[in-house]
Parts: sequence; structure tokens; C-alpha cells
Amino acid sequence: MAKAEKNTAVLVIGGGVAGIEASLLLANSGRKVYLVEKTSYIGGNVIKFEEVFPNMECATCMIAPKQQELLQNPNIELLRLSKVIAVTGEAGAFAVTVEQQASYINSDNCIGCNACFEPCPVEVGNEFEEGLSQRKAIYIPCAGALPNVPHIDTANCLRFTGQDCQACQEACLFEAIDYTQQDEVINIDVGNIIVTTGFESYDPSGLSHYGYRHFSNVYSAMEVERLLASNGPTQGEVLLKNGKPPKTIAIIHCVGRDKKGYCSSICCMASLKIAHFIKKKLPDTGIIQFYTDLCIPGKAYQKFYEDVKGNGVDFIRAEVAEIQKEGKWLTVNYITDHNRKDSLKVDMVVLNPALEPPQDSAELATILSLPQGQHGFFSEKTPDLSAINTEREGIFIAGCAQGPKDITDTVAEAEAAVGQLLSLSAKESK
Amino acid sequence: MTKIGVYVCECGNNIAGKIEIDEVLATVASLKNITVAEKYKLLCAGDGQEYLKDSIKEHELTHVVVAACSPKQHELTFMNVCQEAGLNPYLFQLVNIREQCAWTTPDTEEATLKAIRQIRAAINRVKYQQALEEREMECNPNVLVIGGGIAGIKASQVLASLHRKVYLIEKANSLGGNINKFASLYTTMEPGFSLIENEVRKVKQNKNIEVFTSSEVSEILGFLGNFEVKITTKAKEGELNFNVGAVVLATGFNLIELKDYPQYKYGSVDNIYSSLDFEVMNLPGGPTGGKIQLKNGQVPKSVAIIHCVGREERGYCSKVCCMYSFKFDRMIRAQLPESKIAHFYSDICIPGKTAQTFYEDTKKLGVDFIYSTKHEITGNGRGLLVNYQNGTGSNTPWPADMVILLPVMESSCDTKKFADMLNIPLDEKGFFAEEHQLLSPIASAVEGIYVIGCARGPQSIAESIVQAEASAGKILSSLVLDKKLKLEAKTCSISDVFCTGCQTCLDVCPYGAINYNEVKRICVVNEALCHGCGNCAAACPSGAAKLKHFTSRQLYQEVTGILRQ
Repeated sequence: MAKAEKNTAVLVIGGGVAGIEASLLLANSGRKVYLVEKTSYIGGNVIKFEEVFPNMECATCMIAPKQQELLQNPNIELLRLSKVIAVTGEAGAFAVTVEQQASYINSDNCIGCNACFEPCPVEVGNEFEEGLSQRKAIYIPCAGALPNVPHIDTANCLRFTGQDCQACQEACLFEAIDYTQQDEVINIDVGNIIVTTGFESYDPSGLSHYGYRHFSNVYSAMEVERLLASNGPTQGEVLLKNGKPPKTIAIIHCVGRDKKGYCSSICCMASLKIAHFIKKKLPDTGIIQFYTDLCIPGKAYQKFYEDVKGNGVDFIRAEVAEIQKEGKWLTVNYITDHNRKDSLKVDMVVLNPALEPPQDSAELATILSLPQGQHGFFSEKTPDLSAINTEREGIFIAGCAQGPKDITDTVAEAEAAVGQLLSLSAKESK
Repeated sequence: MTKIGVYVCECGNNIAGKIEIDEVLATVASLKNITVAEKYKLLCAGDGQEYLKDSIKEHELTHVVVAACSPKQHELTFMNVCQEAGLNPYLFQLVNIREQCAWTTPDTEEATLKAIRQIRAAINRVKYQQALEEREMECNPNVLVIGGGIAGIKASQVLASLHRKVYLIEKANSLGGNINKFASLYTTMEPGFSLIENEVRKVKQNKNIEVFTSSEVSEILGFLGNFEVKITTKAKEGELNFNVGAVVLATGFNLIELKDYPQYKYGSVDNIYSSLDFEVMNLPGGPTGGKIQLKNGQVPKSVAIIHCVGREERGYCSKVCCMYSFKFDRMIRAQLPESKIAHFYSDICIPGKTAQTFYEDTKKLGVDFIYSTKHEITGNGRGLLVNYQNGTGSNTPWPADMVILLPVMESSCDTKKFADMLNIPLDEKGFFAEEHQLLSPIASAVEGIYVIGCARGPQSIAESIVQAEASAGKILSSLVLDKKLKLEAKTCSISDVFCTGCQTCLDVCPYGAINYNEVKRICVVNEALCHGCGNCAAACPSGAAKLKHFTSRQLYQEVTGILRQ
């Protein structure tokens, strides 16, 4: 037949747990994979968690073998610090343009010894740590981040802001730091695309009645995840802003749910996990969960809830009206479902906000001509029937890019996207 | 003759700055069988690898020890170098003197002594290492799918192609499973049978899917890539054998037996229905011709929908009941615009981006939601009463003409049969257990056997379909056409001389890789299934089971090398 041979390479956008799983399966089947990741590391949101529900496994230990396998797989080309800026063509023949920021590190020479960080005179808030600790202008986001190769943040680096500093280069024994590197535009040809761009947490400062960013000791769940992390800003200690451990903590569910208009699937379990974890570290700390409906679907989650409840964590079914500051206390004012008003004094509040699509989803949607639903997640072709096929032939979605979900369902969708992708080409090759 | 080469990487200043490498080399060089002991500035770099390769060839080394960084970083790199130099990579040992010594032992003298001991341990060990071969195995690309519900149907469609045949086995006389009984599906409100009709047509048109209805699997033997299957089929009056490379279990769910929950009076009082009964009542071809009506033929003026029936007792949430109950509201409203409808619930579980809209639209239909627990149905001559507690003390029973119970979903009655047949574990709720709950949710603990849909826990239709596609993803990426399966080199073996046939190893093997040979009365490892975890070697009371590359002798020598002064 005269028809042009279809390209078998695959572009995977987003290097979280879905992107990693999809890339590995495709590579093992013999496909060439380009994995485009906007940050400097792979593992996505999962590697921010010290432990994951419901079995309280160490998340980084769980993911590390997959990360290693990915980094060592000759069929996978990881493009970190990269962004897809244009896609043309159609299924079987997409032409993709990727913009890769210079890292200013020659990764062939870098051995990941981190000697370059110490002499860097710059200190700025570490985004990976939700700003709870400082980082340098040359950095990896946290200990254990993979690939273990730093990059230079040119917005804050003295050298790139007009001053004469080469402290990092002087400290490197392997001539791995190259200030002359340039951002690159890379053109790749692929036959299929899998979008696994994950989620971001809704910023609760938009809901002023919770006092987030106004009152100290009102934390977001992600901040607490980092406080709980042994490689985080406090090496795993949960502390108030005054450095003391909290005595009473209110965990508030469904923050932003009304505004967003959907249930984020995983927050109940994440709240239970945080309670479980803090109870283990601080057994005498009182923990009260404020919730309206517990969403703990499936065979595996209720037991975890019962264990947490049995461990002295209290549950109040109520809507939180407002959080106020009274001296050193935070007062949680709430309304129960019998319209009774009440309040509770605590010294720490944890807000568990909705999951939302990453801020740059709309931009990517335009580049890929991929429809987004009313909440901004990428839309599947046939809702309630298939989660991973899209209106555009040759482009699949998986994980939280499609909608909020847990790790189990995320991995299943990544595998499903690969299943459909390989199946379609098997059916075409006759 | 044993000729060992020892190479210490300076890792720039990382190792050289903390450890006296020359002292290490001098000590090591004096040990037995050491042909060469040298340092290099950065062994993992291109020139370092070339140097290592040339040195191995030049000295005709039989074993190699590299003292450098973590095996996570460069074990594979150096194993490849050995391979290229013509040395079996399993005759190589990496010593981590960076993370485990240079970076953690501040005193140079102590670090140097520690490094010497670590390297000595590796030298001791490497002498006893054996060349291992990474073997390959031919595999059969075909797939057996058990269960003809939506999950099994979809898996068959996605898997089948010209070079990959799918055998789809269903014990009932037609495909479609439970969805055939669903009067409508959320959120489209399309009838279940129209989905099934469409999908079954696609299956029938696919020449690469062979469907066996009224058929049961009687035996499955073998392992990933090579299963032998025996089925009994009523349609063709007899037994049939065929071979496949993988098995997909899509055996679905049952609702719990409501008679075990007497507080709901199911089966003993009229007009109390399970959700499935209610679906069937709404089928155009059902007993009432699709009409919602009471036993006496009249229409109900009030309908109570009871959520979470059996949830507390069973200990899990069935995930889909809230959503399909909102579908019931629409079905009732369509026929009975004036009836009262009340949900008795404790949690509304509607995860995901679209479900809440469906819920909110339900509330607009004039449906009451009564937060409550401890539901009990009582009946009197004229109707039913829903008794409940809501925490306020003022719980007047709610009179209902009709009660619909939303029972917990449990695994189908065939689950146990296949768990025993295939030696795959069940979880504590009686569903098939995953290989890893989070990272490998579709694979069972036995390689080549996958579990999808409600066989692995309550799922929605969309989730069941995703899992069907996911099983295809796993199978199509592992049983690749024209490609042999790579097998683990570091497997276990059991000595037939020392094995006493006690079968301790059978219980500890998580991969079902060990069989008991009834004739010889010994245990035998299937190396195609063994992942080399070593559980059997640790558990074997007679020392018959051993893990290649981690033999007792190798470990003993290694430990001695560390401990000896």
C-alpha cells in the first residue's frame, strides 16, 4: 500500500506517576518515548508525600524503583524543564515542538554530589516545599529528587541578574556547570500523545473566611504533607509557627468544593492519612475532622477510616462558617446539620482543598486542540464509558489530567491509555 | 585461575577527599588472587568506562570489584562494561564507598578502614559468584478472558488483533453480565441493553475473538506466556483445550444476600426491593412491563431509598450506589411525578469531576435527603415504615409504600474457585488482591494473570472499562509479538537431594512459582515465574532452597570480610 508508515514514537506530557507508568509500559513494548516534564524532576505530586494511603507506604520508596527504571531505559528520552509549545499533524504523524529551558548543567558530567549548592549566596523560598524552607539559585527541589541533577534558576541567580558570581562553577569539580547553555527548541515526530499533566491544589486564600495566609498556623494540606516529610523543611516534625508542636488540630474537608462544584475524590482519605500520621508522631494531640460527607469509595478505604476513628480522632459533621483568631488560638465556627451553631478552639488548622487542573492546562488544551470540561479538566470522548479516549484521534488522557482520582485509578488509566494505543496500531498492522 | 581486578573510583573529591585511596589499594593489592588494584578519577564517565573495559581485557580478569557509588546509580553501567569486556556481569560486584562510607564517616582514618573492609567483603564474595545467564522464553500471544460482562467484553475487543486471538468465556448463555438488567445507565440514562447490544455486536464481528457462552473453565495450568486451558462448554457438548499467554479475570460481582440482614425485611414483607430488583422492574420486558408498581398493582405514593445496606457489616463502601440511586430518582419521577421520594443516607459518595452535577440535578426533582443511620424497615397491614436515627432524638418513622435497598456489592461466587485454581490471593474483603494496590492495580500476584472490573472490588462501568483497557496495556506491552520474554537471572532453585518435601516454601512464595511434585515428593521452582525474592531460601529448614547470586556461601564470605579485623 502507498500509505505512509505511521510513526510509532509516543509523546508523554507530564512525568508524574501516570506519565512514568505509561512511558515504562510503552518503552517495554519497544516504543520510543519522549517524556516531557515541565519541572526538573519526575514523580509529580506523589513524591511530595511522605506516606500514601491506605497502607502508609513510603511514597518516595514506592516510586523510586520506577523512576530509576525510567531514567535507565534506553527507549525513553526525558526532556525535563520542558514545555510542549506546538503540535501539528494528525494521529500517526504528529510534529511536536518542545521548548527546553537550559539547566546550565552538563548532565553527563554531573555526578549529583550537590557541592555546588553550598557556595551559592542566593536564598529564596522553595516552591516544592510550599515556601516553608529556603533553596539556593542552583538546586534540586528536595533530597532524593530524581534525576539527581541540579539546575540554575535564572530569575534569582546573581550571574543571570547582572552580577559577577560564579561560586557554583568554582565549587564543581567535574566542569559540569556551563553558563553558556541556551534554551533549546526541539522538534520531535510522534504517532501518538498521552497527556498526564496531573493536578494542582486549589489555593484556599481565595476563600477569605478560612483565614489562610492571614492567620499563622492555618495550613494547607500540601504544606502539612511537607511538614510530615522526612526530607521536608522540618525533617518530618509538625510544628506551629512558634516552633512548638500543636495541641489541637482541626482538619477541614471539602475546602473550595462549593466553588469548584465537584468532589475531589481523594481529600477524605488524605485528611484521614494526615490525622493518622500526626497521631503517630504526637499521640496526645487532639485531632478533629470537620466534614459533610465522607467519600471513602471502594473495598480498601473504610478500614483505614475505622482505624483512624478508633485511634482517637474525632469527626464533626458540620459546615465550617469561619475561622477567627483569638489570642494564640484559632476558633473554628461551624454549623451542624441541625442548624446548631458551635465553635471550637484549636491551635492549628489544616485546610484540605479541592484538586484542580494545572494553571497551564488551557494553554496546552489549545496547543493540542483538546476540549476541556466545565471544570477545566481534559474531556474524555464518551463520559461514563471511557476515561482515556479523547475527541482527537491519537491523543489520550490519563490520571488527574482527566479528573481528580487516587493513585490506583491513575495508574490504571495510564495502563489503559497504553492498552488503547498499542491495540489500535496492532489492529492497523495487517 | 582466579584473577580479580579491584577498581576504586575517586568520584572527583567525593571519595578521594574523604578516603585514603592509595592506602586502600595497597592493602587490597596484598590480598589473594588480586591481579590488579587501581584507582580512576571518574569510572562512570565515558573514558572511565573505556579504561575499565580495556583493563578487564588486558589482565584477562575472571572477577571484578568496583568501589564507587550506590548500585542504584551505576551498577547497571558497570555490569554493561563487564559484558562488553567479555566478562559475565554476574561475576562483578559493586561496593558503595560513597554514600555508605565517604559521605557518612567524617573521620578519614575510620573511613579508610571501613572502605577496606567493605572492599574485602566484596572480594570475598565475588570469588563465589557464578556466571548467570539472562534467559529468554517463547510466549503465546493469545489471551483467555473469563467473564462476559462489560469488562470482559471490552478487554477482548482491545486485545484481539490479527496475530492475537482472544478466547472469551462466559458461564451464562449470553454476554453482557449485570448491565443487561440495568434499565438505564447513569449519567446518560440510556438503557443498559443498548450499550451491551452495541458492544456484543462488535465482539461478534471480530474474527479474532472466539466466544464461548454456557461454558466454564475447568483447568488452567502453566505460567506467563504459556498457559494451558481446559474449558467445558455446553454449547459444543464437551471439553476443549487451548493455549494462551495471559489470563484476564473479569468475573464481576453479586449483591450481598439480603436475607442475612433481617432488619430490612427483604423477602419477608412485600414491596421491599433490592436495587437490582428495581432495575428489572423498570425493564420494558420485565415482569411489570417496565411499570413501577406495588405488589397489588397500584403505584407507590412514597418511595424510600435506603443507602449503604450492609456497609457497616461488610466494612466497605460500594462506590457506585449513590450515583445509581440518583438514576432511580429520575426513573421514578418520569413515571410518578407526584410521588414522595426520600433517601436515607449517612454519606453521599460522589467522587470525581462530573458526579456532583448529577446529584444537584437530582435534588431539583423534589427528592428528600434524610441524614440517618440504624435503618430498620417495619411493616403493617397498610404499608411500610422506615425507622432510623438521626442524632436529634426526634425521628418519626417515615411511611413508605415502596422501599428500595442499595446493598453492598461483593465478589461473584466464582472468585474463590479461580483463586484456588490459579493460586492467586484474595484480599480481606474476598475480592482478588492486586499485585500492588497502588502501582500495579490490574495485575494479580501471579504473573500473566490480570484482574479487572468488579472482580477486584466495586467499580463503575467507566472504571471497569478503564481496567479492561489497562489489562490490555499490561499484556500488549509484555507479550509483544515476535519478541521473547526476558526472564530473571537471579532465580531460586531447590536441590532435589536436600529437599524433604515439607512444602514450607510453597506458603512463602508470593509468585506461585513453586510446585510440589507428588511423585518425587519434593518442591520444584518454576524459573519462569520466580522473581528471585529469596523468601523460600530464607524459610527452607533443610537448606535445599537457594537464591542464585545470594547463596549462603556468598553471604557468609561477605559478612566475614566485613567483620574480620
